[in-house]
Amino acid sequence: MVWGAWICLLSPLAAAGLITLGGERLSRRGAGYLSTLSCFVAFGGALATFIGLLSRDGGDRREVSTAWTWVSGGSYRSGLEVMIDPLSVFMMLVVAGVGALIVAYSIGYMDGDVEERRYFAYMSLFVFSMLLLVQGGNLLLLLAGWGMVGLSSYLLIGFWHDRPSAIAAAKKAFVMNAIGDATMALAFFILIKQGHSLEFGILGGEFSSTTANLVALGLLGGAVAKSAQLPLQTWLPDAMEGPTPVSALIHAATMVTAGVYLIVRTHAIFESAPKVADLAAGLGAGTLLLAGLIALVQVDIKRVIAYSTMSQIGYMFLGAGLGSYANGMFHLMTHAFFKALLFMAAGIVIHALAAEQDIRKMGGLRTLMPRTYQAFLIGSLALVGIFPFAGFFSKDSILAAAMDHGTYGYILWVAGLAGTFLTGLYTFRLLFLVFWGEPSAFVREHFHALRRDVVGVSMASTVGVLAVLSAVGGWIQFSPWWHPVETWLQTVAEPIVSPKSWQEWLSIVLSLLLGLSGVAVAYLMYGVRTLAVPRFAFAQRTLEHKFYFDELYDALFYAPAVFLARLLRRGIEEPLIADSGRDLGDDTRDLGGLVARAQTGLLRTYALAIASSVAVLAIIFVAVK
Amino acid sequence: MNGPGVAWYLAVAGFLFGTGSLGVLLRRNPLIVLLSLEIMLNGANLALIGFSRNLGDGGGQIFALAVMAVAASEVVVGLGLIVALNRKRVTLDVDRLNTLRG
Repeated sequence: MVWGAWICLLSPLAAAGLITLGGERLSRRGAGYLSTLSCFVAFGGALATFIGLLSRDGGDRREVSTAWTWVSGGSYRSGLEVMIDPLSVFMMLVVAGVGALIVAYSIGYMDGDVEERRYFAYMSLFVFSMLLLVQGGNLLLLLAGWGMVGLSSYLLIGFWHDRPSAIAAAKKAFVMNAIGDATMALAFFILIKQGHSLEFGILGGEFSSTTANLVALGLLGGAVAKSAQLPLQTWLPDAMEGPTPVSALIHAATMVTAGVYLIVRTHAIFESAPKVADLAAGLGAGTLLLAGLIALVQVDIKRVIAYSTMSQIGYMFLGAGLGSYANGMFHLMTHAFFKALLFMAAGIVIHALAAEQDIRKMGGLRTLMPRTYQAFLIGSLALVGIFPFAGFFSKDSILAAAMDHGTYGYILWVAGLAGTFLTGLYTFRLLFLVFWGEPSAFVREHFHALRRDVVGVSMASTVGVLAVLSAVGGWIQFSPWWHPVETWLQTVAEPIVSPKSWQEWLSIVLSLLLGLSGVAVAYLMYGVRTLAVPRFAFAQRTLEHKFYFDELYDALFYAPAVFLARLLRRGIEEPLIADSGRDLGDDTRDLGGLVARAQTGLLRTYALAIASSVAVLAIIFVAVK
Repeated sequence: MNGPGVAWYLAVAGFLFGTGSLGVLLRRNPLIVLLSLEIMLNGANLALIGFSRNLGDGGGQIFALAVMAVAASEVVVGLGLIVALNRKRVTLDVDRLNTLRG
């Protein structure tokens, strides 16, 4: 059964290697097929592992397979090992499944790009890295996967490397993520110092509260950076510079949710540091509100969805921080479905409109591309959490869990409910602006429909599969009545909150009503346009500047660093180092000229010099003796 | 111990060494310079052997043998150079061979 996990892990790596080494010998389409095939093989491996685990007893569903000892030093050792347990298999299924669909979609979306092979090699590398992250049998391997998804994310955001904005966005994402990687590494150093190990089991050990708090904070730093939560959220919207399938796979469905996985995986340490866990939940709540508000004024179709991703990950952080792990993971799964769907449907729209992403230029696409409209509608309904679509089942139980956490929990609960209203508003603002109304002049000029060739089929069929998953994928768990996801994950992460039945129902009803009212307001403002869109210049400006976070970080970190660098250049480098270098060179040359005069080329002067030196030395020797 | 004392040997060694050094410094024919070098080495050898006898330690004699071996190889290289110079019809005068001037 472990072989399934190894196949799952290694097949995308093999594809990445083959595409890289194959180069021109592989056709561009062939690279796409190979990459897709490897992801489907990975999904098959994950499925085999899942079935294998399912046939075992609940307590016996954990297995570690070590290939060899990777790092050892002193009493410390880490193996190159994969671990399969309910949580990692859950993630494997989501990553490989959604990944395979999105890579298949890419065959169509990236068709005709000059560097398709590089794209598919990167995509396979990413899927491998993400699987390494979730399958790694110890924290060190988790960190290795963590770094590698960051790398592949960087490579893919900057895939169109002739666009300066894409390069800038890639760098920004990498730097922001590096902050998180550094805090995680620091947490691991503390763990090695205090516990002499990086096994997952060490996290449940006895630590002083300072140690536990520091380690949990370090891990939270990593999670916050990777998942684009406050205060390291600024990179995600810019990451939309990458190709749309990349946004769907990395910046919506899988990588950015790794933070949630991390918290659930290391929940033991968060349970010994409840304040940090509360902080995680609070950051999630803050982000979901902030991102929901910003999404209201964005005009780029992908950026709206990106902010919505941040907001939904906020919900997952809320759930995971409160100790409602299974609900956080369940929302991760449904979110992967409907957010990938939204991105891919948006990708079809962008594709059909000659790469235009500004929603102000769109409109009236409902009649032109009815299927895409339906898919987008399903994704939107699932995102807002309307019954019976996927989001409905996963979001509400997170809110209910918040009610079981005292006063603080109620504050978070209100924030989450407000977030559902915002979700309804911004999602359907996007939907109405893009698809309703009359086709704009721009649309009439540039629209071209998908053809029924490989391109069209690969894009349409994968979107179709995800639409079905977004519609019915949530039914596997309805927390008041049945909860197989929770039972499945129970042996890995026992939830520490248990909302009562009335709290469940209250959350369900309220969030449904608020979501619907958000949709209704959006309908009045943007659908039938009977309600004027309110204009508050100040609020609008604040939101358009994303609450001035970029400007703030610019002033706090970038500007001082540049100022210091200029100061050092003028005060130290130019006068001291640059000039002294030149002087040193001149002086050495002069000295060399001086010494060169001694080289007469006359053998007898050399002999005389040697003889007289020896004579002088001999006299000194005798005199001193 | 019979025979002259060590000071005599040293006197002869010093004389040989001085003669050799003067030859190296004053003569301009490379062949003679090489020859003078050999005389210097032999002076040194004589001093080594004299001390060796005086102290009853064989190390000096061994060292002298080593010096002779080095001297032999050096003569081979030196004579080779001189022959090569001669074949190129270069004047055999060390003061004219100054192309290494800095």
